[in-house]
Amino acid sequence: MSNDDSRSRGRLVPAVAVGLLFAIMALTVLSADFGEVAAFPADASIVHNIGYALFNLSEYELGSVPSEGFLAAFLIAAVALDVAVDGAIYLAKREKDGSIVSAMSTVLTDGGREGGERQ
Amino acid sequence: MTAVASSIPPQWYLLLAAGVFCIGLFGVLTRRDALYFLMSIELMMNAANINFVAFALYYGDLTGQVFALFVIALAAAEVAIGIGIILVLYRNFGVTDVTVPTEMRW
Amino acid sequence: MIDVFSYVPAIVLLPFFSFLIALGVGKYLPKGGAFGGIAATAGSFLLSLWVLATVAGGEAANRTLYTWASAGGIGPTDVELSFGILIDPLSALMLVIVTLVALLVHVFSLGYMNDEGETGLPRYYAGLGLFTASMLGFVVADNLLMAFMFFELVGLCSYLLIGFNFREPGPPSAAKKAFLVTRFGDYFFLIGVVAVLATFGTAQFAGEGSFPALADAALNGSGSVAWTPGGVELQTWLTVVGLLVLGGVVGKSAQFPLHTWLPDAMEGPTPVSALIHAATMVAAGVYLVARMYGFYALSPTALAVIAFIGGFTALFAATMGLVKDELKQVLAYSTISQYGYMMLALGAGGYVAAVFHLTTHAFFKALLFLGAGAVIIAMHHNEDMWDMGGLKSKMPVTYYTFLAGSLALAGIFPFAGFWSKDEILYEALVHGLNDPLLLGGYLMGLLAVPVTAFYTFRMVFLTFHGEPRSETARDPEPVRWNVKGPLTVLGTLAVVTGFINMVPVQKVLGLEGIDILHRWLDNEWGGIEGLSSHHYADLGPYSSGSLVGGEVGTVLVGAAVSLGLALAGLTVAWRLYNVPSPTEHTAKLGGIKDVLYNNYYLDELQVWLAYRTEDIAGGANTFDQGIIDGVVNSVSSVSLFGGSRVRRLQSGVVSQYAMLLTLGLIALLLALGVTGGWFL
Repeated sequence: MSNDDSRSRGRLVPAVAVGLLFAIMALTVLSADFGEVAAFPADASIVHNIGYALFNLSEYELGSVPSEGFLAAFLIAAVALDVAVDGAIYLAKREKDGSIVSAMSTVLTDGGREGGERQ
Repeated sequence: MTAVASSIPPQWYLLLAAGVFCIGLFGVLTRRDALYFLMSIELMMNAANINFVAFALYYGDLTGQVFALFVIALAAAEVAIGIGIILVLYRNFGVTDVTVPTEMRW
Repeated sequence: MIDVFSYVPAIVLLPFFSFLIALGVGKYLPKGGAFGGIAATAGSFLLSLWVLATVAGGEAANRTLYTWASAGGIGPTDVELSFGILIDPLSALMLVIVTLVALLVHVFSLGYMNDEGETGLPRYYAGLGLFTASMLGFVVADNLLMAFMFFELVGLCSYLLIGFNFREPGPPSAAKKAFLVTRFGDYFFLIGVVAVLATFGTAQFAGEGSFPALADAALNGSGSVAWTPGGVELQTWLTVVGLLVLGGVVGKSAQFPLHTWLPDAMEGPTPVSALIHAATMVAAGVYLVARMYGFYALSPTALAVIAFIGGFTALFAATMGLVKDELKQVLAYSTISQYGYMMLALGAGGYVAAVFHLTTHAFFKALLFLGAGAVIIAMHHNEDMWDMGGLKSKMPVTYYTFLAGSLALAGIFPFAGFWSKDEILYEALVHGLNDPLLLGGYLMGLLAVPVTAFYTFRMVFLTFHGEPRSETARDPEPVRWNVKGPLTVLGTLAVVTGFINMVPVQKVLGLEGIDILHRWLDNEWGGIEGLSSHHYADLGPYSSGSLVGGEVGTVLVGAAVSLGLALAGLTVAWRLYNVPSPTEHTAKLGGIKDVLYNNYYLDELQVWLAYRTEDIAGGANTFDQGIIDGVVNSVSSVSLFGGSRVRRLQSGVVSQYAMLLTLGLIALLLALGVTGGWFL
């Protein structure tokens, strides 16, 4: 990590804080009481059951592993991913005089570059 | 059909998740380059995923696993936007160092 | 039967309405509100005469009209604060005096203010109306707190009226001085009022539950007072309270040492001087002591203080009047001196003598001031007597009335002043024969008699006799009926008022019953129990002695001595000033003249004291600004400083924000974990 330009001087306090947080979480976890163990049925197909959960088909008793219905979340996640792609493209785009500019030089639609092919 | 229980007690999974979370947190607090910053945030999200899956196994409920799937999808979306922001940041400040842009201050 | 006493509030309110009218619509009225004032005071005068007749018919009133605060348990007793009226022979007499003089002054003002083309007349008549209302309210007050309130109101009106020509430099300064000096005395008066309320639980002047009656009962053991300050004997405490109230009296009646405001008050218009600073407002102090005489009579020390202050002031002011060149200044010092006589009378146990002199003085001093006003109109507002002369032939009515007033002032037989001044000196003498301290007061009063006569006639001769000494004196401005009318009325009164109480004649010739005022104040025709002069005589510590020849002989000797001294003073003035061209003989006094002319440098002393007070006030100011304001300012600066430090947390560096989040999360988890038992 020679590119890493963190400096040692600023790392003590974060280390202590992080260590403290880990200690708290560890203590909490180790002294917690978990309830009855109930693992998955041995011959259930997990992937199939995940599919049933995603489309709200678990209520039809198709699979043997209980779950909630996640149809709404599935659709919303699809929308969110779509929005993320559009946003990323928008943020990355830079226009100058009507043509698309890339980070290093102007990009032409046939893949070539203005000002020649070699940089 | 009998349930197959994990032979590893759940505390270990949770400790692992806590450890990964804290490592990611350390990276967020310490790293200066924006891309490493994003990577550390990914680590923290995956630590939460480990937690979800561990509990799904322990209680025999698939909700945890499906939830973890969604977290992964949204993490991807978030990283896409995050890299777009880093790009704009680089354009305006010339470096990807997160300690350089301090316009919104007192 | 009409209950005349239910109209007593109208006596007070009629001038108050004329005040409101003059203030509100005075500038639209033809004479600036004068007729409203004249009508109001005439109405009050007629009502006062009716009240007088009713009291003479045997009735009196001591009523509470409105209780404005009552609560159990304020201080050591239950206290009720109220407004009410107290009409007995003394207040009925005073009502007539005040309303009559006010009426005459209002008529005179038509000549002095309106005809001379003064501006701001609505303000003037409003001030006169408010003053008359306040003075009448003071006269009828039935408790000390109400009296105090009106006392302050008349002081305010005095301030407003002295400063009438506020665009000149003199009047506002004089008004401020008058207000401040009297206010200084009134401060002690207020403490006295609070002391009376705390000690007795009531401030009523008359009746069984009144504070003089309670004090009397407490002193002779048949009662007790609600509270005295710890460790102080009752008699001492009563003296202290009396002296506190005396503070206001000394200020208002211009006695030494709070007399310095009265000569300066002559900056106001002359009718104002006549009404306020001669006949009525300065009489308020003396009237108050007379009203509370049942209380003062219980305290020989207070009486001695009053007598001494009075006698000293009488002589002291008379000496200062000797060298003054301005007409009104002489009259001002004369007023101070004559009120000294009244205080001497009150302190010497001569209650009737004091009230008698109050009555006669009100008339002849108002007369003298109005006459001076006529002269001032004639001389185009030049008051310097050395520019006058020879006005006798040009202003006969003014001259003869002024002469009548001067003869009364000097105490020449048979004018009014002779009878009243003589009775004061007689009372001081006979009580002083058994109480030598009073003899000092008597001697000072006696010494003031020739001085009074001298400066009075010096004034008369310089103004009216001799040859005119300036152009204006040769050709004075004529005065009209509205000036001569009041002068004539008062001139007549100055002559005849003395006959209401011819005590020497009564004693020498044995004619019983001609001492009308004495019988009047003794509740012979009607009055309130406990407010009669013989009751005061019983309470007082004085007893009468006599010289050779018993009572008759003492009377004759006293009268002869005072008359002789007065005539002597007159003769000296005659020789020095009743010449065609008098010269300033005061230069022969040498160094004393400067001291007298500068009023014994008392004004400078008071200014110096005021500056020292300013130094103390500076210390208080520093305390207020430094410590009190400092505390308040430092609260804000703590907030500002704290804010300027805390905001540096927002550094703009994202990693530091993450650090803060982490630390916050750790703290929260720790707190929840410990209290929630996660780590157990």
